[in-house]
Amino acid sequence: MQPRGYWSDAIRRLRKRKLAMLCFWIVAMYAGLAAFIWIGDILVTHLDWKIPIVQWNEHVGPSYQKPAAQYEFVPEMKTESQKGWCLLGTDFMGQSTFRKTLYGAKTAMMVAFCASIISILIGVPLGALAGYYRGWVDDAIVWFYTTLGTIPYILLLMAFAVVLRGAHIGPWELRGSVSVYLAIGLTSWVGLCRLIRGEIIKRKESEYVLAARAMGCSDFRILFFHLLPNVFHIILINFSLRFVSFIHAEVILSFLGLGETDKPSWGAMIDAARTELARDVWWEMAAATVAIFIISLALNIFSDALRDCLDPKLRMD
Amino acid sequence: MRQTKAYLIICCILAAVWGCEKKKTAADGEMVICRPMISKVQTLDPTNTRDIYSALVVSQMCEQLYVYHYLKRPYQLIPLLAESMPAISDDGMTYTIRIKQGIRFQDDPCFPDGKGRELKASDFVYAFKRLANAKYASQNWSVFDDRIVGLNDFREYSKGFKKEWDVDYSKPVEGLQALDDYTLQIKLTRPWPQILELALNDYCTSPVPFEAVQHYGVDIVSHPVGTGPYRLKTWQRSSYIELEKNLNWRGELYPSEGEPEDQVNGLLADAGKPVPFADRIIFRIIEEDQPNWLLFMRGKLDVMYIPKDNFDKVMMPDKKRLMSFMQDQQIKLTIFNDPSTFWVGFNMKDPVLGPNLPLRKAISRAIDRQKYIDILFNGRVQVAHGLVSPGLNSYDPNMADYGYSRFDLNEARALLKEAEAIYGKPIPKLTLAMPGTDTLPKQMGQLLQRMLEQAGIQIQVDYMDFPTYMERQNKGQCQMFISGVSASCPDAMDFLEMFASKYFAPGSNKFFYSNPEFDALYEQVAVMQDSPDRLAWYRKLEHMILDDYPAAFMTHRITFYLGHDWYKNYKPFVFGYGVLKYHRVDVEQREQFFNRIHSSKKEGK
Repeated sequence: MQPRGYWSDAIRRLRKRKLAMLCFWIVAMYAGLAAFIWIGDILVTHLDWKIPIVQWNEHVGPSYQKPAAQYEFVPEMKTESQKGWCLLGTDFMGQSTFRKTLYGAKTAMMVAFCASIISILIGVPLGALAGYYRGWVDDAIVWFYTTLGTIPYILLLMAFAVVLRGAHIGPWELRGSVSVYLAIGLTSWVGLCRLIRGEIIKRKESEYVLAARAMGCSDFRILFFHLLPNVFHIILINFSLRFVSFIHAEVILSFLGLGETDKPSWGAMIDAARTELARDVWWEMAAATVAIFIISLALNIFSDALRDCLDPKLRMD
Repeated sequence: MRQTKAYLIICCILAAVWGCEKKKTAADGEMVICRPMISKVQTLDPTNTRDIYSALVVSQMCEQLYVYHYLKRPYQLIPLLAESMPAISDDGMTYTIRIKQGIRFQDDPCFPDGKGRELKASDFVYAFKRLANAKYASQNWSVFDDRIVGLNDFREYSKGFKKEWDVDYSKPVEGLQALDDYTLQIKLTRPWPQILELALNDYCTSPVPFEAVQHYGVDIVSHPVGTGPYRLKTWQRSSYIELEKNLNWRGELYPSEGEPEDQVNGLLADAGKPVPFADRIIFRIIEEDQPNWLLFMRGKLDVMYIPKDNFDKVMMPDKKRLMSFMQDQQIKLTIFNDPSTFWVGFNMKDPVLGPNLPLRKAISRAIDRQKYIDILFNGRVQVAHGLVSPGLNSYDPNMADYGYSRFDLNEARALLKEAEAIYGKPIPKLTLAMPGTDTLPKQMGQLLQRMLEQAGIQIQVDYMDFPTYMERQNKGQCQMFISGVSASCPDAMDFLEMFASKYFAPGSNKFFYSNPEFDALYEQVAVMQDSPDRLAWYRKLEHMILDDYPAAFMTHRITFYLGHDWYKNYKPFVFGYGVLKYHRVDVEQREQFFNRIHSSKKEGK
């Protein structure tokens, strides 16, 4: 019998878990939606497309229409009134809550994805260097991330978001979401860095590393071509676990008014509900909350399953 | 370790006990006024006070020479610290003012034995010089720029010093003299017909004892020492401000004259009684609407504005009366016109907006003001067709006919094309500075963004807290900004001078609008005595501003004010703030309200 590889075995075992697969498809749906909207936005800004894929800022009805209620209104730039209907109701401006919720998925997924990449780009090399070289390099890096780690996360995140918003880095001005990506990415690499460092320390004395060294491989080659591929599953698991918390971080920042301000975001929708609830407008908050709940739950279940499947000790099952 | 823990626990218990103590709002029979404060207070130093929130608090503690009569309408100036109306020389250039004798500052550690000393004419001279001190950089200087003989020289002289405190105030200013302890003489560089309305009744000219400035230094912002009916007890920066009676106050009687309706409305019931009535005033600083609203409905606040989101629930559809459940609670509604104007301002120094009139005009045309009002304010404000607000002397009821506030998308688009031709390339994304990060500013930002987008104008909105916003605005760092002004006197000159180039920010001209023709005419009109001619010139000035679109004027405010029935003697008073001394709380009636709420809660259970 042909022995299975590590990855194909993990995928085979993952496929056996029905719930995990369901969650995977939910996450994929969110991701697909986000990608779709993202591409649409690019087409609109750069290729002069007239209509974005999710036209969230169109006024589709009067203010604060209840979900699924019939109404009559005069659309923008028109004079005659027409009948309308909105699945999840409308917000204060008469924009569709449904479209805003869909667009919120793009905002959240983009932020979580970009912030993850940033945190991996910082955390992995630093952890690897610290674990491989030890000595003063290790001392310096450990000191740095321990110091950063002692600052309460939300405070650090808010401070970064405030400082980065509108900041100039060389010729670029950080606007809107970019500062959010950076704020979240720059504040949340510590955990990953610590994990990678530990794993590298554990593996740097293993036989294959010694063999590589005996063959005269450079430190760089050993580190990035032999060691890192072997800890890649940790990065992947960490990525999926962190994704949820990054989505939450984005929601928190938007709720506090430090996140994306020009585009819809779930946090901003919940923030709007602070006053809307006083006039019994619950649908904006409900839509955003349900959207966050589903993606959080799906991602959590899926990454749990992923961790089990990628754990080499459980391979014999 | 164990000891530390024990200390910690004791500290916690003490803090908790102290917290409970704080919550008690009134001792037996004590009369306390509780009011909402929707923004943080920036300063309690009257000389540098400019925003309405600080002014409301400052005005209870500090007094000026003149003040508007509380009840009489049209508004009429009466002496407050002055003994009588000023003696004005025939050429209108010299004002001689007698000051009441026996007025004392509040007791304060800054005085030698802690006892407040008597107010002298020299205190006013000091207050004016301090205003002029360039190193102190008062936001109110623009009002006095080039008005008083020698004061500008003093300002130049003060620039030679490193710090505010180093400036020697003994240097005489010719136009400001204390002839004796109780006589102040002011000489003007040119006639200034509005000096009483704009300067001598303004909180910024309140006397501040030099002892306090020396004693507290920078901390003077939180140690106001005035002559008013109240003094500061506590100021917790973002939680509350508490004032208590100033025991040194000379005393005053509640006015016994007013409008005919005042008798009917019970506003003269306290005529002739000594004021102030309340023992303490508490301003609760809560920036969110809903907590304020709940506190008001539970009787923890005496008065309240109506938050936008509650408006439809509490008002009848005619928007004139309260719903019956509110009337059952014995809540009273007062609707009045608060002369004020709000706008989307343009920074004329900005390279994109400044030289591009069609662009500014396009922005103005793209804003559907009526829709803006309907969506954001439940129709509680009026469309501003021009700069000058109703209720001011030069307000032109036909302003709407000139079409400055017209909403016309097609015209906006055509103007944008013109603007792009002038700029040479497509107009880049513009930035709008929005004071506040709360829901309403956010909604305002989103709505404006959408409206302008319809005309093809892209903007991004920067939300910031009020102090940051003010700082950026004063430094000219805002490209576009939302702001507004409330009138401090019935004379529209107050509004018009915001566009004179000599008042560039940090003065009142935040637009950096500069038009030599306007400046020249303004200089002429500013010295004219009141006459029908002058009104015509005022209107001419207003049109000059409107033609240049340094701002898209948006709205005038109508205030809907709620008060519990126990809150007595409330009359809308829009030109000044120091009137809380006249307000009274019927403590018994408030107690009954609490008992009623308490018992209905129990029944509910």
